[in-house]
Amino acid sequence: MTRLLLSIALLLSPMLAMAELRVVIVEGLAGEPTYSEQFDRQVAAIGRAAASVTGDEHIHILRGDDVSREAALQRIATAASGIGANDWFALFLVGHGSYNDYEYKFNIPGPDLTGEDIAAALDELPDSNQLLVNTSSASGAIAELVAADNRIVVLATRSGVERHATRFGNYFAEALSDTSADIDKNNMVSVTEAFGFAQRRVDDYFESNNQLATEHAAMSGTRGERLALARLGGARPAVVDTTLAGLLGDRDALNEEIEALRLSRDDMSATDYQSALLEKMLQLARIEDAIEARQEELDADR
Amino acid sequence: MQIVSRSMLFLAMLALSAAATARGIHYGAVAEPAVVECDQQHWRGRVEESRLCYANLLRAETPASIKAEAAWALNNPKQANEWFRTAMSETPDDHATKVRWGDLFAASHQYGEAMNIYREVLAEEPANAFALLGAATVLVGSFEDAADNYLQPILDGVVPDDGAYLGALLLIARVALENGDYDEAEASLALAEDVLAKHDWPPLELYALRASLDLLNDVADSRWTELSLAYNPYYGNIYATPAHFYVITRRYREAIEMYQKAVEIQPSLAAAHEQLGINLLRENRMSLAREHLERAYELDPFSPRSVNTLRLMDSFGNFRLVDDPPTVDGEVPIILRLHKDESAALAPYAIELTRDSIDVFTERYGFALREPVVIEMYPDHEDFAVRTAGMPGLGILGATFGYVIAMDSPSGRPSHQFQWGTTLWHEMAHVFTLEATDHLVPRWYSEGLSVFEEWRSGPNPGVRIPMSVYNAMKEDLFLPITELDEGFLRPTYENQVIVSYMQAGIVCDYIDREFGDGKLRELLYAYRDGLNTEEAIRSVLGVSPASFDETFAAFVDTEHGPVLAQLDRWHADQVRYNNAISEKDWATAIELAAGLIAILPQYVEPDSPYLAAAMAQRELGDNEAAINMMQTFWRNGGYDPVALRRYAEWLVEAGRSADAIDVLYSINLVDPLDHELHGNLGDLLLAAGRADEALREYEVAISLQPHDMATAWYRLAQAQYELGNVEQSQLNLLQALDVAPNFRPAQRLLLKLASNNNGQNP
Repeated sequence: MTRLLLSIALLLSPMLAMAELRVVIVEGLAGEPTYSEQFDRQVAAIGRAAASVTGDEHIHILRGDDVSREAALQRIATAASGIGANDWFALFLVGHGSYNDYEYKFNIPGPDLTGEDIAAALDELPDSNQLLVNTSSASGAIAELVAADNRIVVLATRSGVERHATRFGNYFAEALSDTSADIDKNNMVSVTEAFGFAQRRVDDYFESNNQLATEHAAMSGTRGERLALARLGGARPAVVDTTLAGLLGDRDALNEEIEALRLSRDDMSATDYQSALLEKMLQLARIEDAIEARQEELDADR
Repeated sequence: MQIVSRSMLFLAMLALSAAATARGIHYGAVAEPAVVECDQQHWRGRVEESRLCYANLLRAETPASIKAEAAWALNNPKQANEWFRTAMSETPDDHATKVRWGDLFAASHQYGEAMNIYREVLAEEPANAFALLGAATVLVGSFEDAADNYLQPILDGVVPDDGAYLGALLLIARVALENGDYDEAEASLALAEDVLAKHDWPPLELYALRASLDLLNDVADSRWTELSLAYNPYYGNIYATPAHFYVITRRYREAIEMYQKAVEIQPSLAAAHEQLGINLLRENRMSLAREHLERAYELDPFSPRSVNTLRLMDSFGNFRLVDDPPTVDGEVPIILRLHKDESAALAPYAIELTRDSIDVFTERYGFALREPVVIEMYPDHEDFAVRTAGMPGLGILGATFGYVIAMDSPSGRPSHQFQWGTTLWHEMAHVFTLEATDHLVPRWYSEGLSVFEEWRSGPNPGVRIPMSVYNAMKEDLFLPITELDEGFLRPTYENQVIVSYMQAGIVCDYIDREFGDGKLRELLYAYRDGLNTEEAIRSVLGVSPASFDETFAAFVDTEHGPVLAQLDRWHADQVRYNNAISEKDWATAIELAAGLIAILPQYVEPDSPYLAAAMAQRELGDNEAAINMMQTFWRNGGYDPVALRRYAEWLVEAGRSADAIDVLYSINLVDPLDHELHGNLGDLLLAAGRADEALREYEVAISLQPHDMATAWYRLAQAQYELGNVEQSQLNLLQALDVAPNFRPAQRLLLKLASNNNGQNP
């Protein structure tokens, strides 16, 4: 089982820390070469990012002639086969969408994937944590349809009437390899961080071009900060050195303590909190120093 | 006032037309004897008798048109509207009543509806004199020539009606006074007097305009005021009408006094309460302003100016007052009213710039400020417009009312359109020129000095002249010195206001260079002493205005002639150069840009050839040439923030961080709400050992709530550490680590603090 690399907050829960991530990416019809190039780039970026946090065997990309309604629905079902209740299933839809005031469609060759198709496919999966990222135009039309307690939903538009081709997908994909998206500096980009980055970039785009914004991304669901979509710098090599493994374990444990301390902040006086935080942060800093030193030793021995 | 497009005249005139359209004197537009009988009492100031009279008309079995007039007179426009509607359904062909219905709409500030009615009447009866007059009165406020088309048949006698003719004459006199054409005003008033002599109509409006003419001729105690008060002791417009002319000549304090007198004798005069409120705001007297605006709103809830201004005042809760008290004797306090989201970011720069301007202008003009300077910056341009004129749609960047400046905040406009620092400098120059002359400085000279100070002493100095002004120079459109005010007040072609700003600036440059710096100051004091432009030029410069114009033209020819001679080539080459850029023909683009720059080296507007030439040089790998190109652009006053950020990056790449710091500092005067700019500038300052300046930049950055708060806190910690403030540095580090516990640079600095503290926790 490949270990899912989680954000620091996720390390709080050992159960979640051992969770697994399965990813399905569907690239829709582009219509024009410009969009084709953009969608290819986005899919590649999401795929690379996924490879940094989960095993290649758990990443499924459907594009070009491989894409059809049946193939997509089948791949979603098979990719999630045997998934555990604590594991994560992520579906990325990259492409154009349409909405005729009654029905949303994600545009693919042959019959399109409708909003109902997408919701049903996710609803039918075994009990698990889920992420749906739909970067298409008009994707906001399915917000209510796909909402669920165990699901984080990221949509490029806030409603079905935002029908222009979106910019959100480009920026969301960009976030997965951009250090400035990593707000908590843990070298990983969470769903929340990627969403925030993309949202800001979309706002900046319309503002700097003095245009009325034609898209407003939306995110719903909880724990978006707990699911890492990318590890900056690529996948972490397997740790075989016992000293280093011990230090990493110490660091993870300390991070859990820090998170617990942060959650209890409201029950403490400001002075007590700062004092406790200082102590923990110094410990954490020293462990990080030790990790770096050990890694340098190991690198020198190679 | 710094302007981007249209003239202020539009708004000034609209204000007047609004003030003039309450149910005033109708000069025979209403012929019904029962109404006129009540009106006669009203015009004589017999308030209670007239109210009883109108009330009786409403109660009695009278036609709907009479009840409409009575309800209107009793300040019940809604009821009046209903009665007019009834009247028109009963007698649809009664054009006189229909026109009065239009007048009611105009009085209620619903000018579109009023015009519809006038047009309907004129379609059926083209010679309806009062419909023509009503339409002209509405249109004269809209700055359209169309008003003349409606007035002309009345004035030419094609449509003979003494009442409409009198109304037209008074309207013309009013506009002539606004435009400074006192002869025309006098001629119209004389004709109006002749007409009045033949009828039993009240002379009150005539008296008010005569008193205004006296005021504009510096006769403060007008005999017409006495005559008016004798005729009707409660006619507030005898003060409110002249007060309007104080407002448009920027003498707000005097205007306030007059409006106060107006509401004292006629407490029901909504327009006077409104103007009193707006002008009290200009003096920063908030509570009293609100009191009068609320009273105006009670009396006339349809006035957009009262509503807009009250809404704006309600929004002041989102603003923060930043007070910078004097630190040495003789200094005045500076009070900033800034939006709470921007105040921390803007206040340090605004205060520094304002203090610098006060130092420069105090010495230059030999005048020490006597009151606190209040500076308001509005993120929403329409708020600024309402603050300035009571109405949205104003095409200016800043306005000065004496010691109070209102202007767009840097977020109020795209940064490539607006140098807020330069605008503030421009407006501060107005504070001095207005106050040093008791507000007697003419518009052209005040604007000229402000533009000139932008160029020579502003935060981003350099002579910046838009291409439209060069085109105007080529067409010989500059005005004689004694007529230059006209270019601001009564523009006759598009862009004339901008052309007039630039001409006024060049005139000041000319006086400074040819007659000596002291003459600019002497001219200012000549205006304070009451001289007009002709007298001031003769007295201070010792030449006649005609001679001045002649030598000024020669100066312009010497300074700008070579450019003007090549202007056609400049335009043609610019097209070729843009084509070369779009075809990525960098070598040709550079060559053409060099030619353009040789013709007009000071041209640093957004389409300046410096910018694309520098990019082309970068494309060809000639980084040094690109840097040199941008350096010239920047030193000539170029301010495009995107281009300057890029230039700063190139400088850092080239190891010239000190130069990059100067460039980034200059961007603060254009685009100060960019947290990345402050962060990057702070980093360079910190690396250069200027931790105190870095700290200020980092504090501003964090006030702008960047998304990366961990880095923002860490930067603050670094600056505090360098300044020796260990405790504060530790606190900021913990704030950074609280957001991002694994943030390595912050962890390292924390450990450094700990080790500096002998291994103990810091």
